[in-house]
Amino acid sequence: MLKRALAIISLLIIGYWLAQGLAGVPFGQDKMLVGQYYLNHVREQTGAVNAVTAVVVNYRGFDTLGEVTVLFIASTGVGALLWRKKRERTAKTEGSVVLKTGAELLFPFIVLFGAYIFIHGHLTPGGGFPGGATIATAFLLLYMAFVGYEIPHRAFEKVEGVAGMGYVLVGLIGLAIGGYFLFDWIWLTWKWGAENIGRLFSAGFIPVIYTLIGIKVGTELSGIIDNMLKEEVGE
Amino acid sequence: MNGQYASLLIALPLISAFFVPLIKGLGDRAVKYYLILVTAVQVGIAGWVFREVYSTGKPIIVMAGGWNPPVGINLYIGHFAALFVVIVALASFFMAIFSAKAIETEPTDKYAMLFLLLMLGATGMIATGDIFNLFVFMEITAISAYALTAYNKTGEAAEASLKYMILGGIGSSFFLVGVALLYGATGTLNMAQLAQLAGGINATVAQVSLALIIFGLVVEAELFPLNAWAPDAYQAAPHPITVMFSAFVVKAGLYAMARILYILSAASGWADITKLLVILGTLTVIVGELSALRQRDVKRMIAYSSIAQVGLIAVALALGTADGVSAGVFHMVNHAIVKALLFLAVGYVGITLGGTAMENFEGLGKRMPLTAFSMTVGAVAVMGIPLFNVFWSKVRIILAAMGANYTWVVALVLAASVVEAVYYIRLIHTMWFTGEGERIHENIAIGTIALFLALLIIFIGLYPDYFWTLSQKAGQDIFNVVQYVKNVPLMGVGS
Repeated sequence: MLKRALAIISLLIIGYWLAQGLAGVPFGQDKMLVGQYYLNHVREQTGAVNAVTAVVVNYRGFDTLGEVTVLFIASTGVGALLWRKKRERTAKTEGSVVLKTGAELLFPFIVLFGAYIFIHGHLTPGGGFPGGATIATAFLLLYMAFVGYEIPHRAFEKVEGVAGMGYVLVGLIGLAIGGYFLFDWIWLTWKWGAENIGRLFSAGFIPVIYTLIGIKVGTELSGIIDNMLKEEVGE
Repeated sequence: MNGQYASLLIALPLISAFFVPLIKGLGDRAVKYYLILVTAVQVGIAGWVFREVYSTGKPIIVMAGGWNPPVGINLYIGHFAALFVVIVALASFFMAIFSAKAIETEPTDKYAMLFLLLMLGATGMIATGDIFNLFVFMEITAISAYALTAYNKTGEAAEASLKYMILGGIGSSFFLVGVALLYGATGTLNMAQLAQLAGGINATVAQVSLALIIFGLVVEAELFPLNAWAPDAYQAAPHPITVMFSAFVVKAGLYAMARILYILSAASGWADITKLLVILGTLTVIVGELSALRQRDVKRMIAYSSIAQVGLIAVALALGTADGVSAGVFHMVNHAIVKALLFLAVGYVGITLGGTAMENFEGLGKRMPLTAFSMTVGAVAVMGIPLFNVFWSKVRIILAAMGANYTWVVALVLAASVVEAVYYIRLIHTMWFTGEGERIHENIAIGTIALFLALLIIFIGLYPDYFWTLSQKAGQDIFNVVQYVKNVPLMGVGS
């Protein structure tokens, strides 16, 4: 009781302190130093209509590369910690007929929609991470509906690695062509798709990178699900 | 050569880590040799960057994507970063060699990936010039550290990792809230531009955000109230990983703390935060040393000793004077060498004799003379005996603290050093004057590394001037914010 009361009191103090800090940040006032620059120049400089993806992949692409790495570490870490010589799915209850048929029917639609999200990252809200997560839910659905289902583990791992290498490679090509790491060579050097702004084939390397990220995130999250659903079995 | 190629420091470990799944079919040995190869190349790149920065005297500014800061993200490889990038790469290279012998737990391919990404995270933290990018690299470092701590899959490793993960997670969230407040108050994330705008931030906001950011970094930097995870993690992690933790992961946290602290030195309420940090650092020294005194496990004992040294560095960095920062950097360098040597030797004993309990060290001088010798050099150096490297950096720190009128800190730190001497002398006594044993064959590669580090300790002890100049330059890099801002090619956005 005393513990709980103390915790509540100290939380209230911290909350008050934070609120004081927040009150000092003027709300609704124009504080867009860098933000205004992005909004003004996003179309000519990146060719993307979606300003968020342009910032995330192009202007601040270094952060996204880092976030992709964080996810990669998470999946690798889960894989390392749950590693056993022989692991299999040991689920017992098969899904009902309705669930199984429904999952089978839905699967291609979900994958298609996920692909749509990451391919259109520069035009519509979304991008590589939501698209990849959507694809992973399709595999989760199969895992839930079928007792014996397993993703092709080895192939997925390799695809994940290749997609990640692809991202870094695109960046390194930028270093070779434009002189800067993660330089958007498709847009800024080749001017490819310059008349096409707002349509599918535009926005330089953003769709390329988002496709790679979508594939990578999709395989990674599916791999995490796979690792966590398997149990150790005797020899 | 084009300075932009310094971005390979980030690109190489990344692409190599992504490549590992493709070669894991070739077997464990191949993966381990691959790890050694990649880290060797990284040492080469880091060496080139170091030469470039120290010969021209100008920092390398890597602009990712070709966008000028603050629109894009820039890496700032100044004197400090160039020096520590080399240390990170070298320590990783040595540990990759050590891993070839020390890591038997499966799966080796995942270990190699996490190892490379830990190196990448620390390199990025040291090199970045953007405060949100710092957060991303901190997460890379922290999450690979969580996974590697639990890598041995024993109960205590899982417990240590869980503790670390919860504390680290809370710390990171606080850091992120602090960054959000700063962004809300200034509208930029670039460190150089933040330094320009720091004076104009509302006093309460500056204080709250700075406190939150420092609080978040204190977890990574292992300062007193939030370092409970550290001794457990050091003890439970695989031996090469322990070396990496104490040689550079904690240094990256400390550096980030110092960098942000000095970037915002124009903000109001700044002096309070430095005072708080000095107090935390001093407490860390005292608590660390006293806890080390009673340990029966040598690895844990050295872990506590490492934490105490880290407290000393934090004190030096938070003094707020140029001397203090330089002394802190010098101690960071020395501590990285000494603790790498000690943890390497202890880890080697651990895998050869099965465990790092004090009993295993009885008669080590007769059984493994080379290892025992290098450990003795390391132990003597840590105590701060003259003619060894740590003596010089401790003296510098104490002088700097006197210069900044922190006499009580000096008194407490010196008292703690006496405690330190007690348990290290006990260890040396156990190794050379007790127990009997047959000679055990010692691995040549590991012996060479240990001997190299031991000779380096003695060399710096005899000729400290070269390294002291290096540290002064690196310290200036952190302390002289005006020069830092001048070096970053900010484009005139909004200001």
